[in-house]
Amino acid sequence: MTNMEKYIEAFVENLDVTAEDAPKLEYQAIPTWDSVGHMGLIAGIEDAFDIEMETDDIVEFGSFAKGIEILKKYDVVIE
Amino acid sequence: MAAKFDPIYKIGAYEIQQYQQNRYPLLFLDVVEEVIPGEYVRAKKNFTYDEWFFPAHFADEPNVPGFIQMEILAQTFIMTFLSMPEHKGKKTAFLNVDNLRFRRKLEPGDTLIIEARLKSFRRGVAQGHVEATVDGEFALSADLKIGLPDIMREFVPGEK
Repeated sequence: MTNMEKYIEAFVENLDVTAEDAPKLEYQAIPTWDSVGHMGLIAGIEDAFDIEMETDDIVEFGSFAKGIEILKKYDVVIE
Repeated sequence: MAAKFDPIYKIGAYEIQQYQQNRYPLLFLDVVEEVIPGEYVRAKKNFTYDEWFFPAHFADEPNVPGFIQMEILAQTFIMTFLSMPEHKGKKTAFLNVDNLRFRRKLEPGDTLIIEARLKSFRRGVAQGHVEATVDGEFALSADLKIGLPDIMREFVPGEK
């Protein structure tokens, strides 16, 4: 499974969206990505890539695209 | 998870309300017998026919409604982290209930012993397992995920 596939799967599993819709997502753009969904999503991504994100990065993780940028800090390259 | 706090014994019904915000008629624990903050809780609930729900559930066969049994598990579980000084008295919110099993009808005269174990607590989200017995007989159990909204809000985009 590629990093992109793992990344998308975290959105699908934790926010109940389709793989096709995941790349368009932003925080609070859908009902499931609320404060509770955010915690689940971050936990899912951390598990998928075996990382532990810093607080500032969790707060800034406001979209699918922004997440890809943030994960580079953790040596997770998503292409 | 290593224990960081001394155990606490015999937290009575009045004192429990200093740890959690549930109140009569929806506070169900009689006593929290033992707490290892951040790790483990053992609590007790005695059922008598005086309970407000028995006449309604059911008139000819009084037994404890399932949602109340579930709530008793949750009220015990949240004591695992509300007993930590920094979280004492905070409101909580259900996030997930998994593997909920009911195996025994609870009736007037039963004493429920509930044991909860905290498996993880990160960013205001607690996960763990809780199970209850009557006279040593398994009654119900669940895996719970419960959040502390006050803490979770600190990690939300645009809220810092």
